[in-house]
Amino acid sequence: MASKPKSRWADDEADAALEAQRKKEKEEKKRLKAEKARKLEAERKAREAAAASTSQQAGDDPDRGPPAKRRRLSPERDNHDGDDHGDDDHRDDDNEAPRAHAPSSETTAADPSNLLRFEGGTFGRSRSVENYDKLNDIEEGTYGWVSRAKDVATGQVVALKRLKMDPKDRSGVPVTGLREIQILKDCNHGNVVKLLEVVVGDDASKVDSIFLVLEFLEHDLKSILEDMPSPFLASEVKTLLRQLASGLAYLHDHFILHRDLKTSNLLLNNRGRLKIADFGMARYVSDPPPANLTPLVVTLWYRAPELLLGETRYGAAVDMWSVGCVFGELLTREPLLQGRNEVDQLARVFELCGTPSDDAWPGFRRLPHARGLKLPRGPPRRRSAPRSPSSPPPARPCSARSSPSTRPAAPPPARCSSTTTFARTRGPSPRPCSRPSRARPARSGGDGGRPPRRRRAARR
Amino acid sequence: MAHMTNPLATPDQLFQRRSLGALPMELQDIIFFSTQCLTQAAGLLLQLPQSVTAQANVLLARYWLVESMMAHEFSDVSAATLYLVAKLSSHPVSPRDVAYIYTYLLSSSSAFFHDPSSRPPPPPPPPFGSESTTTATASSFSSDKSNTPYLSPSGYQAFHARLLRLEGLVLAALGFDTHVALPHPLAVTYLQALDFFSFRRDGSKEAGRRALAARAVAYLNAALLSPQALYLTHQPPALAVAAMYSAARDVGAKMPECEWWEVFDVDREELGFLVVGMRSVEGWGRKMRKDMKEAMRGRERGMLTRKDVEGELRRRGLVAGDEVGNGSKMAVVDAAEEEAARRLDEKMAEMASAA
Repeated sequence: MASKPKSRWADDEADAALEAQRKKEKEEKKRLKAEKARKLEAERKAREAAAASTSQQAGDDPDRGPPAKRRRLSPERDNHDGDDHGDDDHRDDDNEAPRAHAPSSETTAADPSNLLRFEGGTFGRSRSVENYDKLNDIEEGTYGWVSRAKDVATGQVVALKRLKMDPKDRSGVPVTGLREIQILKDCNHGNVVKLLEVVVGDDASKVDSIFLVLEFLEHDLKSILEDMPSPFLASEVKTLLRQLASGLAYLHDHFILHRDLKTSNLLLNNRGRLKIADFGMARYVSDPPPANLTPLVVTLWYRAPELLLGETRYGAAVDMWSVGCVFGELLTREPLLQGRNEVDQLARVFELCGTPSDDAWPGFRRLPHARGLKLPRGPPRRRSAPRSPSSPPPARPCSARSSPSTRPAAPPPARCSSTTTFARTRGPSPRPCSRPSRARPARSGGDGGRPPRRRRAARR
Repeated sequence: MAHMTNPLATPDQLFQRRSLGALPMELQDIIFFSTQCLTQAAGLLLQLPQSVTAQANVLLARYWLVESMMAHEFSDVSAATLYLVAKLSSHPVSPRDVAYIYTYLLSSSSAFFHDPSSRPPPPPPPPFGSESTTTATASSFSSDKSNTPYLSPSGYQAFHARLLRLEGLVLAALGFDTHVALPHPLAVTYLQALDFFSFRRDGSKEAGRRALAARAVAYLNAALLSPQALYLTHQPPALAVAAMYSAARDVGAKMPECEWWEVFDVDREELGFLVVGMRSVEGWGRKMRKDMKEAMRGRERGMLTRKDVEGELRRRGLVAGDEVGNGSKMAVVDAAEEEAARRLDEKMAEMASAA
């Protein structure tokens, strides 16, 4: 590994020597032009040779620095294949051998191979939460408390999410919290909330409080929708949904199911950038999906029908259902399907999408909870799909299709973002920021005094 | 790319392992080797897939670059990492199962590190309640009196408390980064890419190809035990390629004539280093087993403990100040926990007798 810088060093030395040589040549030029040209040519050749057979020349020249990287070619190795039986001495011999043969390998050694370096970062101890000053509480969620805090050293404002640790829990650090940390650490996308670090309480002898340090975003979609006097414009819905789809496509491409998408988990900053947050339910899955997933995920109003029917082998389609629900909610400012319980929720789904038939959704009758299901006879009836008040064409979310197999995957809208469907690729619209009626003022409340009316960050 | 990359140790971390005040290197090596073997044995008995156990091995190696080896009992650290990795995997295990397995492995009746040359293998556990006579050599073993591994309720409470406390400490020491990418699947994929698994009608070379893959995986597993901590200094693709290279040599498989490792983004230098490292594990492991027997002073099986190492240090006249000091401070905490658990037991017993 160290050999790369070494050989570069050797090259630098060669270049420096060449520079000196060139200067001398310039003086000589006045005396003899023809000779200069010849000499330069020779020098250039010498340099090429130097760069090529690095190790040889490095050994001869005292100012050349450490010997450059040795290279070995397979022909030499093959000669030794027969007598090498695997102990270290043999290996060493083997390593020495090609040095003698190196001149023969000049051509390949000359062009540096273009290898991909894998960067995995490092590991080290978590810092203490004392590195952050708490500013105000934001909210308490199912899995933890969230507060706004400031990094003492840098002044950066962050959201601190404290993992709930139940001392009575006999299994230690909650696995959902660990999954959330691992998934967020692995993610790097503009529409997924960033985990800056994980800090712990000050007690060195045991770890009883764990804080996720997340980037701070001013709003979440749910509270914005609640406070808005008029719904989003079609273009605004479009940019929000495009960002959501692009974030979700990233997650699904990396085998992550979010499993709790809803408007309160979608954060929005003052510049209009949307980020997916709260990975408390998220997990890595395989493709095809594993068979033993729990269907008890996703907040009821955003839960896909296959989950309501007790499917344990589900995939990215459950997230897409939630996206459809969010879409509907963006248009009407009201959650699309507000069931009172699982049965009611399912009834509302069928009311909206029509009763599933064996053609539209093969095999849905075999799902665990489908057996006791009484479906209305006759042609499926549909409630009118939600419409955007500002845009006449009906906008029934195509992701809200009851059959998971015909529901579109997240990637298409995101990938065709440069084409017709989502032609507006200028990035998030700054508009909510410019109209106070739409969104809270950017810096309402300030840092001191009364806490701002409602600040949100990573959780709910 | 996450499935192909690991966080690696920094030069500082590696250097501190060898710096002044640390344990002598050969003792560190013995501790490392025996604890990693213990994790492997526990993983087998808990019926965890090797993918889980190997991740625990890697996490343990990382942890010991951040935290002193003597800070906690070795077997406890092993149990905590295994429990943690299993919890995050699709094969979670209960703390109770972990407790039973480790109690067995640490008991004198376990086959763990049994030396077949010195003694007949331990008899199968006798029926419950009967006394065995083969405990003479285990007299120094404090955790159990008889040959039957038995975990008392208070013992379990104490173990459980230690397990969860260490789980948190390991997580904090690693910055809550539990990501481990293993080279094993890469090795199989690479062998496929080199067309070693293509279906042949005659099946004549089938056995050889299988041997090649098995040998490569064996190299990767052996490298987990090496105190060179190859998994902490090299990325999975390099490990996979080195294992394939060594395996191909062993079984005499014909590899491409060109520099095929560059296809997998490994340069020759790195490959050479790893091949030497991996090939040396076997002989080194043999030596370790011998050394360990000496360190344990005649105890023929079971696991090296912190007490053994402290004794060894004292014998050499090297009571390394803060290492051991730190260790005994932790031991006090452990003792306090055990005491609390014992009191709880007595209380329970009282309540039971009262009822």
